[in-house]
Amino acid sequence: MEGRSYQRFPTVKIRELKNDYAKFELRDTDASIANALRRVMIAEVPTIAIDLVEIEVNSSVLNDEFIAHRLGLIPLTSERAMSMRFSRDCDACDGDGQCEYCSVEFHLRAKCLNDQTLDVTSRELISSDPSVVPVDFASPSSEYDNAENRGIMIVKLRRGQELRLRAIARKGIGKDHAKWSPAATVTFMYEPEIYINEDMMEKLTLEQRMSVVESSPTKVFDIDAKTGRVVVVDPEAYTYDDEVIKKCESLNAPGLVEVHPKEDSFIFTVESTGAIKASQLVLNAIDILKQKLDAVRLSEDTVEADEQFLELDAHMRGG
Amino acid sequence: MLSLKYGQTDEVAALFSLCRMDTLIYLLVYPQRPLLTTRTIELVGYDKLGAGQNATVAVMSYSGYDIEDAIVMNKSSLDRGFGRCIVMKKMSAIVQKYENGTSDRIIRPQRERYDPERLQILDDDGLASPGEIIRPDYIYINKQSPVVTRGPITSPMGLPDSAYKPSIQTYKGPEGETPVLDRVSLCSDKNNNLCIKFMVRHTRRPEVGDKFSSRHGQKGVCGTIVQQEDFPFSERGICPDLIMNPHGFPSRMTVGKMIELLGSKAGVSCGRFHYGSAFGEPSGHADKVEAISETLVKHGFSYNGKDFIYSGITGMPLQAYIFMGPIYYQKLKHMVLDKMHARGSGPRVMITRQPTEGRSRNGGLRVGEMERDCLIAYGASMLIYERLMISSDPFEVQVCRKCGLLGYYNYKLKTGICSTCKNGDNISTMKLPYACKLLIQELQSMNIVPRLKLTEA
Repeated sequence: MEGRSYQRFPTVKIRELKNDYAKFELRDTDASIANALRRVMIAEVPTIAIDLVEIEVNSSVLNDEFIAHRLGLIPLTSERAMSMRFSRDCDACDGDGQCEYCSVEFHLRAKCLNDQTLDVTSRELISSDPSVVPVDFASPSSEYDNAENRGIMIVKLRRGQELRLRAIARKGIGKDHAKWSPAATVTFMYEPEIYINEDMMEKLTLEQRMSVVESSPTKVFDIDAKTGRVVVVDPEAYTYDDEVIKKCESLNAPGLVEVHPKEDSFIFTVESTGAIKASQLVLNAIDILKQKLDAVRLSEDTVEADEQFLELDAHMRGG
Repeated sequence: MLSLKYGQTDEVAALFSLCRMDTLIYLLVYPQRPLLTTRTIELVGYDKLGAGQNATVAVMSYSGYDIEDAIVMNKSSLDRGFGRCIVMKKMSAIVQKYENGTSDRIIRPQRERYDPERLQILDDDGLASPGEIIRPDYIYINKQSPVVTRGPITSPMGLPDSAYKPSIQTYKGPEGETPVLDRVSLCSDKNNNLCIKFMVRHTRRPEVGDKFSSRHGQKGVCGTIVQQEDFPFSERGICPDLIMNPHGFPSRMTVGKMIELLGSKAGVSCGRFHYGSAFGEPSGHADKVEAISETLVKHGFSYNGKDFIYSGITGMPLQAYIFMGPIYYQKLKHMVLDKMHARGSGPRVMITRQPTEGRSRNGGLRVGEMERDCLIAYGASMLIYERLMISSDPFEVQVCRKCGLLGYYNYKLKTGICSTCKNGDNISTMKLPYACKLLIQELQSMNIVPRLKLTEA
């Protein structure tokens, strides 16, 4: 197709990267792309979660479906998820979704034998696949204290109570149920550009400048101890609350501070549930976004639509 | 221990409620302690007996499914257990003793007699076993009653099988629900009869039409359930659990709800439960809004509780700042599953032959006078005919054109006959609502003669 190309080349700059946390800049693109990435991360990156529970014995205080719901919400390490099959289109098993290609089996056996309350946690879940296990926050890279970590609580048992069950974990996406969502928090903000009108600032007293600095609920501005000038220390702490601008207006100095969001620059914060690494979450999301775009490009409707657009294009150019 | 029941809310009614056999009980699955309390609530201990959950509420408009106090809910929150509740219902059966010494009996299921599917939850003792999924029409007690219950009888204990008639009890519940038989208890009632009680349990997640309320009487039904990615979010990553329309505020003037939002927001930020009473500010039994605002600012929020929010659909910032924070929400017991109703054909009332009324009797929906007036005004005569006659109580009558009274149809002669004129010469067959025929006859019994004058159509 002839005509102008609107292709842009977005860039990513990683600010901070931990196992379950990532902060990065996404530049030279639109809100639509940034938002698509965010939406895919929340709803369409696959993970593995417990989907079917067969309870053999349950004499605990919680009923069967209560425990099944709790089990489902336990995040499982899901590096395998991208290569795994959805049980609905798995052809190795006949639709019951219980084969090794599309499911992972878990067993849990717990019985309280003494007078102390027994905590049944995610650590008691025994997996059939060593690569799919309940997320262990005690990993050395994590900052949680090892002594404090006891896994995720499932139920508490008193003397004589017993819980015995078999669970099947399957691949799924967050759109179907939130238990399959790998994202704890995915959010972005527009990068703010803050201008301080130095000439007008000169006219203010130190007290007034202090009031400008303190008007923002987050620490965006500070006063340079040497020069006494108001400087921007952390533009990203600005929450677009307009408090500073209102303050400037009340000081009879509108335009003293101006803030504009950069329309093509986003700061992403991604926190993972632990199912996959935050960095992997972003990469998987990009892969899935590509697959979705391929599906659009290859569908016949699009070809038809393109032809129509060609006609329209010609029409627009007066052809 | 004390048993508390507060009107319509789902809650832990009593700490031992799971051990009791109540007729009907609603339990919230993950109850929480309110973030904003008052001294009185603490004194009464109401915060120890959670009745609701702290939902992050955004006061804004969303999608149009939030008009008239409806709320928009976040699907992910529901997946994670928000508003989930357990409903337990009791069914009971009595093994009756009769005056002649006979009594009901419970026997092991006879497989050949009924559809085996209906018997599948029964144990060999003739009672349904706990832990089984019970579906509509399943038999939960295989009981038989003696045919003769009065008068002297030889050997009342050794009756033959033929002297018993089945009096089974089947489960009647809404289709689509999969309840579980939770417990079975056997006890004796005040007449010393064996009484068997069955508790049926069902866990429900909120659905469109379920009713929720904050503690300020601001009740509303769930209007729609929206995916989390479509929900608005803040740059901190906060995404509301539900969206409430701001039109609920001006006329109701529930200032307390706004203070609750502010106080709860400050509470979660600083980790201290706040007091939200309107009284007792000087004595420190209530937090001042100014103090709350200060806490908010200290934790990087705007003093007025409003946040800068992005649209989850487009990724663009919303035009206005959104008042957002936690509010304690309770789930009320009015749930669609218990109320939804539709009828095609079904039972009729004996006397008027019109469809029955009410959900419990699988009744029809009435086309009332006002609806009828609309149809008349519109001129939809065929529709009126269909609603008021065909689908209600059509009846064929033999009318005498001469005397105008109702006759009868003689099946032997295959003609209508007028019982007043004693002949079948001037008989016309026509359709009437049965209720009209009834009226005519009732008037006749009061010495009033209604006569029908027929003309050719």
